[in-house]
Amino acid sequence: MADTTMGAPGAARPALFLRNATGLVKAWSTFDAFVYSFWSVNLVTLGLYGMSYVYNIPDGQLLASVLIFGVLCTFLVVTYAGLVSVMPRTGGDYAWQSRVLGGGIGFVLAVTGWWFTLWLWAPIYANILVVQFFSPLAATLGWSNVATWAASPNGLFVSALILLAFVGVVVSLGMETYARVQKICFWIGLAGLAVVCILLAVYSQSDFHQAFNREAASLFGAKGDAYQQTIDAASKGGFSPQAFGTFALVPTLLVLPYLAFYLLWPTWGATLYGEVRGAKDIRKPFWSMFWGLWVTIALVVLVILLMLKTIGWDFYYAANAAYWNNLYAVSGAVAPPVPIWPYPVMWAGFLVDNHLFQAVLITVMALWFFGWAGTLFLSSTRVIFAAAFDRVLPSWAANISAKRRVPYGSLALMIVPAIVVSWLYAYKPSVQAFTYDATAVIALTFLGTVISAIILPWRRKDLYDASPIVRYKVAGIPLITIAGVVSAVFLLGMLYEWAHWSLYGSNSPDSAKYLLVTYIAAVVIYVAARIVRSRQGIDLNRIHHEIPVE
Amino acid sequence: MPKVFFATDLHGSEMCWRKFLNAGRFYDAEILICGGDMTGKALIPIVQENGHYTFQLGAERQQIEAAQVPDVEAQIRRKGYYPLQMSLERLHELDADPVKRAECFQQVMLDGVDRWMGMAAEKLRGTGIRVFVCPGNDDEMEVDDVIRRSDFVELGEGRLVEIGEFTMISTGWSNHTPWNTHREETEEQLGERIEAMAKQVPDVSKAIFNLHCPPFKSGLDEAPAIDADLKLLHGGRALRPVGSTAVREAIERHQPLISLHGHIHESKGAVKIGKTLSINPGSSYEEGMLMGAIVQLDPKKGIKSYQLVNG
Repeated sequence: MADTTMGAPGAARPALFLRNATGLVKAWSTFDAFVYSFWSVNLVTLGLYGMSYVYNIPDGQLLASVLIFGVLCTFLVVTYAGLVSVMPRTGGDYAWQSRVLGGGIGFVLAVTGWWFTLWLWAPIYANILVVQFFSPLAATLGWSNVATWAASPNGLFVSALILLAFVGVVVSLGMETYARVQKICFWIGLAGLAVVCILLAVYSQSDFHQAFNREAASLFGAKGDAYQQTIDAASKGGFSPQAFGTFALVPTLLVLPYLAFYLLWPTWGATLYGEVRGAKDIRKPFWSMFWGLWVTIALVVLVILLMLKTIGWDFYYAANAAYWNNLYAVSGAVAPPVPIWPYPVMWAGFLVDNHLFQAVLITVMALWFFGWAGTLFLSSTRVIFAAAFDRVLPSWAANISAKRRVPYGSLALMIVPAIVVSWLYAYKPSVQAFTYDATAVIALTFLGTVISAIILPWRRKDLYDASPIVRYKVAGIPLITIAGVVSAVFLLGMLYEWAHWSLYGSNSPDSAKYLLVTYIAAVVIYVAARIVRSRQGIDLNRIHHEIPVE
Repeated sequence: MPKVFFATDLHGSEMCWRKFLNAGRFYDAEILICGGDMTGKALIPIVQENGHYTFQLGAERQQIEAAQVPDVEAQIRRKGYYPLQMSLERLHELDADPVKRAECFQQVMLDGVDRWMGMAAEKLRGTGIRVFVCPGNDDEMEVDDVIRRSDFVELGEGRLVEIGEFTMISTGWSNHTPWNTHREETEEQLGERIEAMAKQVPDVSKAIFNLHCPPFKSGLDEAPAIDADLKLLHGGRALRPVGSTAVREAIERHQPLISLHGHIHESKGAVKIGKTLSINPGSSYEEGMLMGAIVQLDPKKGIKSYQLVNG
């Protein structure tokens, strides 16, 4: 039964006839895909946390860095949208790299980027949960002992266990249930952000100065001008502020690796497409990721300008410097009068002299965390499943329980090592210092994908020639190649900065050892699997070998 | 020790069918099984007008010369669509009349299947490779007749087939889907259909259940959630199990050596249900990639090895 016709909107003739067949679905809403992309570039959970390190480069112009990052990351969005259009159902980086670069490279980059490094993201998320929810909420409610304990190693480790339990439940329940939770979190979280912005917009810097001093005294027992004491504490730790308007190109570029902590992820957007695609479907992955990135950037610009106006740029940087320098025991550093992480949301709440309101605001803004953190192991479980189906990992890794469909094999491979890494993160300060390794490893995985995209038109000419993007060329060069080259330069630049400069904490010997162990482990697993499977008569090299057509 | 190559849900992709026919030599497999849904979902008109041809594959309508038509037709077939040359008047006629459109589509589709049967015979006759095809729920009933007429390709639907010491039963019928396709029935009816074959299997420890629809809640049956309007929910990320409870019950009851499935393209995987290894190799027909499973059978061990491949 052929019962459908399709054509360009407004066209006088149909482009194709469709018959009734399984899987022919109408396109998903671009808004749904945008929401996912917007969540992944999470302004509050990841953004505020990541930007709290930027004080390390006081002469880097943050606003300019954000905009430069947005432009460069747009090329990454173009690259990924192109790959999605060429190979829509392949499951992302692992499959793209495996098909273009080979199974070994695909496996090593995918498992390090989407499996091993997520062990490190678990305690990082746990720390964000502490500093953006447990600690400020407890402090606001007057439970100063709880606030102090939450920020201690024990509190951080327990938070990691709570987070892992939460993530495990989300993975077990499945994305459909969680997607509903995400939508609720999205709208309420946005409303919370609007309240924060309104508060910062309507109050003056002197209002904030007074409010900060008031709450520092009320909640933390600080005496005198806590606002000024915070700036002084930063100075003692060696921080010297620069005017917001100061611009120097190199320091501004050095800020980019910090921003990658949250702005590098819009490509987590849509990867699933209908089988018979119309014109609009080709553009959907691009626009959903593009708007996810640029709406966030617009909000970041707004928040930065509001903080500049009401909180004061010197104070914002100084508060971060004072907190982190004291935590990392930097020479000369002293404890700031407000000893918990400088959370701009909490500061905005200070502008209303009501602790209940402040607690509600912190709770509402925590929905930015709970609406996203549940997906922490989503990609990991998929990569583990794919590797198990490819016989690289044992088949039990892809097992799911019969009754509740819990992927216990992959969950065990995520949660058990994540507990170990969380313990190290909580009790070994040197491990906390290489927080940015978690971003760098994924950036390297992205680089593998980007290289795949650059050479795709020649390496997999058959796929490229048959794809909708074959007509997008600039001066005869495929657009995906051009976008890929720009993205590769962008990623390589950041990888160089992470590896070269000590200010990111990722070029220490311990960091190098951690990275080395993860990559060696991935290589060892792949080589061991090849040997074992070869003895079983299974050639892993054959998985991605294309069968001749003729 | 027969080596089996199983692929499914080719949906009209001629590139995938050609690869399927070459898979025997490529993987040293003596048995090729096509698990169903071999016919395409879309027909692309190539309209002859004013001395040239126009067609639309993707975003924009393109104009080509007569000499380019064969290449365009090959490109369309590669994606699993059917190209059909026609006049502008015929295009409008088909657009306006659902009955004529359905008749035209069916004819093009059956011609396509017939062509594939001919290609199989031409390429594999005399090689010792056996080819089984079992149409799926998306394949119209008339497809079976075309396959039956083939003197080389063997129809699997509804019968027991001996593969060395192993016995295969096959059906392309599925439980009900939102698309109301050609071979759908209630779980009870599907259970009876499978049971009618399964009870005749002499030794279930050497049985292959080639059942198009995957078992319910097996991990091989997770499809994107859709609403009543067939619109993907939650950006296509929310998955639901849509397999058949009847298929699951049959596997759990009889515990065949292996069960082969398709139907849900996104749900590639291999899982154990009791003693049974259940496989869905998935499908990426629209990319021209043949996803398949190689299974090395052994009369003593049962399954010596298996591997999912993207050929």
